[in-house]
Amino acid sequence: MKNYKIYITGFIIAFVTLTACSDDFIDVPSRNPNSDDFFKTEQDYQDVLIGVYDLLQASFWNVMVGEIASDNTLAGGDPDNIDGPSIQDIDNMVHNDVNEQLRDIWRWMYAGLNRANYMLEFRDNIEFDTKNDMIGQALFLRAYFTFELAKWFGPLPLLVEDGRIQNKRMQFGEQFTISRTATIADTYALIEADLIEAVSLLNTTQDLEYKVTKGAAQSLLGKVYLYHGTFDAAKYTDAATVLDQVISDGNYTLASNFGNIFEHPGENADGSIFEVQYTDVEGAGFDCLQCSEGNVAVGFSGVREYVGPTFDSGYGFNTPTAEAASIFTVGDLRKDATIFDAEAIATSYQPSRGETKLYNRKYLPRKGDLGLGDNNLTNPNNYRAIRYADILLMAAEANIQKAAPDATKAKGYLDLVRDRAFGNTTNRIDATLANILQERRLELMGEGHRFFDLVRTGNADSTIDGFVANKNELFPIPLIELELAGAVERWGQNPGY
Amino acid sequence: MKIKLLYFLFFCATATVTAQQMQISGTIISSEDDFPIAGANILIQGKNAGTTTDFDGNYELTVEKGDSIIITYIGFKSSTILIESQSTINVTLSPDNQLLDEIVVIGYGSQKKKEITGAVSVIDSKAIEKLNPVRVEQALQGQVSGVNVTTSSGSPGAASNIRIRGVSTNGDNNPLILVDGNRITDLSVINPNDIASVNVLKDATAGIYGVQAANGVILITTKSGRKNTELKFNIDSYIGFQEASNSIDVLKPRDYAILVNEMSMNGGGDPKYIVYPEDGPDWQQQVFTSAPIANVNFDANGGTEKAAYSFGASYLDQDGIVGGDKSNYNRATARLNFQYDILKNLKLSTTAIYTHSNKNNLSEGAAGSVLFNAINMNPVMPVYDATEEDGFQKAYNLGGEIINPVAQLANTYDKTRVNKISATLGLDYSFLNDHFKVSSKFQMNHSVVDGHVFKPEVYYGPSKSFNITTNEVYENKDYYDDYTWDNFITYSNTFNEDHSLTVLLGMSAFKTYGTFTGMSGTNLLLDGQQVNSIEYASVANAETQINRFTDEQLARGSNTFDTRLLSYFTRIQYNYKGKYLLSGVLRRDGSTRFGPENRFGYFPSGSLGWNISEEDFLVDNDLVNLLKLRVSYGIIGSDKIGDYRYLSTLSGEATYVRNDEADASELLQGLAEGALSNPEIQWEKQKTFNIGIDTRLLGDRISMTMDAFDKRTEDLLITSQVSGILGSSAPGSAPPTINAGTVQNKGFEFQIAYNSKFSEDFKINASYNFTTLHNEVLFVSGENGFEAGGGFGVGIGVDDAGRMEAGYPIGYFYGYKSDGVFTSQEEIDDSPVSSTATAPGDLKLVDVNNDGEITADDRTYIGDPIADVTMGLNLGFNYKNIDFSASAFASLGAEMVRDYERQILEANKGTYNLDRWTPTNTNSNVPRLSTGGTPQSSYFSDLYVEDASYLRIQNVQAGYTFQENAVSKIGLDRLRLYVSVNNLYTFTNYKGYDAGASSGAPIGAGIDKGFYPVARTYMLGLNLKF
Repeated sequence: MKNYKIYITGFIIAFVTLTACSDDFIDVPSRNPNSDDFFKTEQDYQDVLIGVYDLLQASFWNVMVGEIASDNTLAGGDPDNIDGPSIQDIDNMVHNDVNEQLRDIWRWMYAGLNRANYMLEFRDNIEFDTKNDMIGQALFLRAYFTFELAKWFGPLPLLVEDGRIQNKRMQFGEQFTISRTATIADTYALIEADLIEAVSLLNTTQDLEYKVTKGAAQSLLGKVYLYHGTFDAAKYTDAATVLDQVISDGNYTLASNFGNIFEHPGENADGSIFEVQYTDVEGAGFDCLQCSEGNVAVGFSGVREYVGPTFDSGYGFNTPTAEAASIFTVGDLRKDATIFDAEAIATSYQPSRGETKLYNRKYLPRKGDLGLGDNNLTNPNNYRAIRYADILLMAAEANIQKAAPDATKAKGYLDLVRDRAFGNTTNRIDATLANILQERRLELMGEGHRFFDLVRTGNADSTIDGFVANKNELFPIPLIELELAGAVERWGQNPGY
Repeated sequence: MKIKLLYFLFFCATATVTAQQMQISGTIISSEDDFPIAGANILIQGKNAGTTTDFDGNYELTVEKGDSIIITYIGFKSSTILIESQSTINVTLSPDNQLLDEIVVIGYGSQKKKEITGAVSVIDSKAIEKLNPVRVEQALQGQVSGVNVTTSSGSPGAASNIRIRGVSTNGDNNPLILVDGNRITDLSVINPNDIASVNVLKDATAGIYGVQAANGVILITTKSGRKNTELKFNIDSYIGFQEASNSIDVLKPRDYAILVNEMSMNGGGDPKYIVYPEDGPDWQQQVFTSAPIANVNFDANGGTEKAAYSFGASYLDQDGIVGGDKSNYNRATARLNFQYDILKNLKLSTTAIYTHSNKNNLSEGAAGSVLFNAINMNPVMPVYDATEEDGFQKAYNLGGEIINPVAQLANTYDKTRVNKISATLGLDYSFLNDHFKVSSKFQMNHSVVDGHVFKPEVYYGPSKSFNITTNEVYENKDYYDDYTWDNFITYSNTFNEDHSLTVLLGMSAFKTYGTFTGMSGTNLLLDGQQVNSIEYASVANAETQINRFTDEQLARGSNTFDTRLLSYFTRIQYNYKGKYLLSGVLRRDGSTRFGPENRFGYFPSGSLGWNISEEDFLVDNDLVNLLKLRVSYGIIGSDKIGDYRYLSTLSGEATYVRNDEADASELLQGLAEGALSNPEIQWEKQKTFNIGIDTRLLGDRISMTMDAFDKRTEDLLITSQVSGILGSSAPGSAPPTINAGTVQNKGFEFQIAYNSKFSEDFKINASYNFTTLHNEVLFVSGENGFEAGGGFGVGIGVDDAGRMEAGYPIGYFYGYKSDGVFTSQEEIDDSPVSSTATAPGDLKLVDVNNDGEITADDRTYIGDPIADVTMGLNLGFNYKNIDFSASAFASLGAEMVRDYERQILEANKGTYNLDRWTPTNTNSNVPRLSTGGTPQSSYFSDLYVEDASYLRIQNVQAGYTFQENAVSKIGLDRLRLYVSVNNLYTFTNYKGYDAGASSGAPIGAGIDKGFYPVARTYMLGLNLKF
């Protein structure tokens, strides 16, 4: 009987103890910080800012597919089948609203925009010395992502308040009510407002190469004004003003040797205003291309099945046309740095679809990289997003286009670019608009700007095969994205699609 | 309140009564063979006293005049005798027809099968023995209605998907699996020989298990010893070999060359082959191999007066049919089951299972996997090339993903080692004439998973995604722990002999937690020299070493998880004379997965039963031995989602680059949002209605069970694509989990079994079951009205090949319909086409919306991966010493998507292309081949959707048992030898490896990227008992 009591008591104690532990048992706080209750230290801002920069690396399609859309390059790829069909479609200007790359661009640039908005949502939480600069970086990045989206898709679904993009993340549910900006020009105005503020906040020089500088923000602002100029000619004047300022501030010089710019030592060096940083120290896979720390476009642009010196192989996309290679005049040092003729040095290789046998030398995989798996996705080539030569040419263009043209100034800028390209001063040309635009093509071939330059200057229709005016100026919003936001009617598709 | 009740019970228990006592004794014998029964229980009815018989069947007991004693023994009918004045009471027990009084484990207790009101299916150890499965799940397929098991891989040790009554949620559809009450997520750690019985709870009565039970419950009981029995040993062993059950029909070299030429020329290119080659490797045969399998199992069972024990140990060694030892799996298990009566009314039971397994992993089920390469590899290329450094032929002109699969196997080094211990400890204390029982049961699992991956420097050919120029090694160690503590009290009593009442009240606390650790290294060095061999593949030898988690991540606990459940439950069971049965369950569950407002949910269920055969008009009826009607309805909650989905945590990936280019230190680690949050998220609710009939006829020779069910899952927890503007495609982010939809699964289950003993020498048994399943999404919330998922990689790859949309089955295939091929230019001119490049022989897509164009809006339902009917057939007979059994399973009406082909000129092609459309073979629906692009074929269309109905002979076994008197001379009780074949043959029209394979995902299941097929296994085995 005694044992009885002991055991019964034991059971009761067990029962009572456990029952008493009650509902607290399942109150387990997350060890990861709650995003709504963060931003307590300077480091917190810095950590979140890194997350915003991260999405810049996902802009590789913008560059590669943007180039393919132009008259500079063909889609390429496997010669024996339709490789990357949705890239081929864009090359042929027959793309529709079901397109893998367009959807990636849409989602990834919006991901970057949202990350910037997360930081800006809490911009007033605490004060510290470097905050202005950090907020400036975040604003620049928001502008960068928004500008990319605007270039591709035109008017954008954005949360807008008092003429500014709202400093808040888009919450689940808001996709069903958000509306598109009325016009492309409206979108550009929003981007300009961000950049004007960024210019006022950013440092002129930074401790680390990856960081946005004031000059970068001014440069991007000038570029957006130039794009805006298509819809509002007054903006050319604004573009000229801010680009002149970048040049007169004297913080940048052209790299003396054009050929070095796209080699490893040329990264973040002379003439570099803003770069998307890539590295080969971490592996990547096709299941999450946007997660790669490497430049995915570089592997895609490599020569197929290439065996030979200097370069590694790739998938053979983005191959320059013979016409593009032919526009370089004799003595133009840029040609050999821009066009790679595989026939000349390859031991063996497989020509890409279209068989031009020419490749985009600026962004080819170089030998000597670490080559962690998947080697094609982890190339370390930085994307030279904003180069000083681009600024000079945009400044020249703006000075020609503005209400009171300044051809002398434009010629001065153009001469700097021409002199570097030929290594002498004997190849200077007149600063006509046509010459400046042609010079942009020569200088920036393979860098993803051409299609958008043709569109904004109204030359796409006459230049790009298959281009349909009043349609192909913009790309279609992916149908699935319209559907997922319940916005087939609310946003509407871009004209012609 | 509960405390007061317990104190009350406590005081009652201490009350005692005395009366006139007398001594009785006797022997209990079996009517079957007149042998004494050792270990039979003799209990005084209504009192907490009794004894058991000794080895000779004898007992002694002190009783009071007027007492009744109940003599029970498992497998025999019990006998009740009123004590008047007799002092010697010998009782002969007759064998139970077993079935009616069978005790079935139902969750926090057990119940006579006859009194069960829920839909429960039972598989016993005999059935498992007959099937001789390598894995437990294989014993479920075809044995019980309503259960469908698919494999996502036939590789040794790979997991299966078990679906009970369909796919009811877009999340996790796996049932709750309890081994001796202990949660197990991976059945591969369980040795089938250790199992005494498997019970499957299919309807709402499973709700006693609460939130984890929405997909049904599988209760596995391991073998235990029996009190007062001699120590007995069993040895079961088999050896055998496995081979691929199927290969995909691809072109032979000559046909291949002809078709490649035709394809190239159709696209305006040059022919690739001037001379048609006759020879080349069969790449599938190069990677498939005849793989050995061996298993030995030993167990010992016995019991003393107070204890029962069972011990088992086993070892399984199995090579894979792909790559042999490169997909080897071996497993050693040890099991202990021990029950001890500390006091007559205080019982301890404890079990422990230790598992050690090693698995070699291959790339499978994806583009670039070994079988994908074997299917697509150029059949003219040799396997080896002596001029290459590593001796392997490089896969030229085959794109970035197709590589030489033999070289791939040689360079694969991927091992997982699991050490797992599962233990349970339970105490049951009965008091107040056994009317009350308090139980406390503690169950825990601890496992350590070691992963070791070596990626050597390797060159498969130019441009290959799988080339590695700096070797890498990964060493991970993951710790998983969980425990469940159940405490409950059961009251059971019978009032006025007719009213039986059982009340259960209890609570359960569950916690699962774990820690992940690991390092990786690049560039292996030995004495400063680069090395590239598995021999030196350790992080310690690497030039650069990288932590799997950064210091910041470790500080934030990104490498840990901790999920808990807290539940209270009660169940009332009542029956009147065993005729009218009633049961009700209420459970309150709390889960860490929901926000503070929605953390708790209340889930009721109820069931009714009517044993019609107990009514006067049927009792003792020779034709109808049992007839029972059952009805149940209930609501079960589910919390099967990720942790902290109600919170927006900074768990995303935020990595950028300083551009030092030196080593991994150049990576800048920051913080970003993880999955998008949904603070409103709450329990998914499953409402299940079930009505069933159990019947046994003709002296129990025929048994039948029929069930009709209607399961509606509401507030479905969904994590699928959302609008990209929300930023969910950022690295480390994901769409939010939302409550968004209703899915219905309704169907009918029928099971019939026939057992007959024609003579002592000849017995036969047969059973057949089928299940129909109608799956329909009734509602999907959100403005867009659908959820999408499922990647399809041929042609224009899409990532929304599967959809969940009202009016269709969950995960139906969403693509273009086709209507044969274009046969003439006129037909093309008169039809909407998606491309101006269209030529005769190209696929003709249907303009579903009749707008005169082929656009994305023409996509529609083109099939679904859910079988309409599944059925199982099991046959067996014994004639004298020979036994034979066979089982088959069929699945009808599911579709699968062929996604293992590459549309590349020089990739190999399916033989069905021999019948392609050509200007001279115009009566064909197979599109022409062209590199110029057959645009319609590169869309996701019904061209790729195939009927995946199949009938599989799962097991055939023949055995011979030696005469008992012959084997007893060498000290054996039993010796049986058998031969057995698993997966003997599959009848199907499906072109892929395995019509029964599935990824198991609710949306995107049935997309076949080259599933590792199940093996056909030939075995020779023996069963030994001594």
